[in-house]
Amino acid sequence: MTSKIINMVEKLKDAEDRLLESMFAAEPIADGGFSQRIVAQIRRRIWVRRLALPVAMLVGGIVAFKPVMQLVTVSSTLLGVVPREFLEIPASVLPQVESVTFGMPLMPMIVLSAMVVMAGILGTRLLNE
Amino acid sequence: MACDGAWQIIQTATLLEVEDQSLVTLAVASQDTAAYGELIRRHQSQVRNFLRKLAGGSTEDADDLAQECFLHAWDKLQTFSGRGSFIGWLLKVAYTTFLQSKRKSKRYSEVLSEVGYVAEQQSRSYTQDTNEVSDLDKLLAVLTEEERAIMVMSYACGLSHREIGDATGLPVGTVKSIIFRGKDKIRTNFDIKDHKHG
Repeated sequence: MTSKIINMVEKLKDAEDRLLESMFAAEPIADGGFSQRIVAQIRRRIWVRRLALPVAMLVGGIVAFKPVMQLVTVSSTLLGVVPREFLEIPASVLPQVESVTFGMPLMPMIVLSAMVVMAGILGTRLLNE
Repeated sequence: MACDGAWQIIQTATLLEVEDQSLVTLAVASQDTAAYGELIRRHQSQVRNFLRKLAGGSTEDADDLAQECFLHAWDKLQTFSGRGSFIGWLLKVAYTTFLQSKRKSKRYSEVLSEVGYVAEQQSRSYTQDTNEVSDLDKLLAVLTEEERAIMVMSYACGLSHREIGDATGLPVGTVKSIIFRGKDKIRTNFDIKDHKHG
């Protein structure tokens, strides 16, 4: 009830208000491609956001590939230094380091695949959010 | 290709009949830029007029601000509760954008003056340029920035006191007293006839 009265009072404009309204009144501005420009900009931004993560993952993968490979190779050679008794675990439990798939040792392949899968899962989650 | 064009026409024709609130829901839920485009088309004139009056100076600057405002509004669209009108919410974003840009340009000129550069009238005071000063420009020049924004929202955009309160973050009573003060200033500076106090 009170708010209705307030609204009514607000609507009861005097001559001064009407004069001010006429002074403040402005011609409508034609769109002239203004809205299209903004929509195009928003669409660009949406695409950039969608592409940013996969591109960053790809670049990161490329940059990290060589050092990771080196790290894996070094760690696998270091395994040879470890006394044999520490390594006397049934062969079936360990990954077969000697085997080669597509010309690459198995161990780096496993690490790389795990990285790709993890990056994929993270990327999908981020995109969904 | 022709089918795409026809679909676009149908979609546009449908969007024209949809209310603001539904368009906002559509834009938020499915990132529908066409729905948001329709909202821009509907309200761009009011937002641009508001910023032109507020910023004074060149229309290009005001239009840049309007563009920035609509981009901010897109980012914050999910915060529109639907409680007030969409234009009220949009003008709130426009006012915030204006104040931010004002602060930025002030900080910029402060940095310039610190390094000893004398900026050539960087601060966009309302009275600056000019050969072409309209009656409204003279009227607005006697008001402070806050008074100007509130008077423009009230008399040019037709917002209610409550909507202005929401847009500026001020209580309704303060909005009313600012309008009263603004009118008083205009009265004392200009010969406005038929006035009644209050």
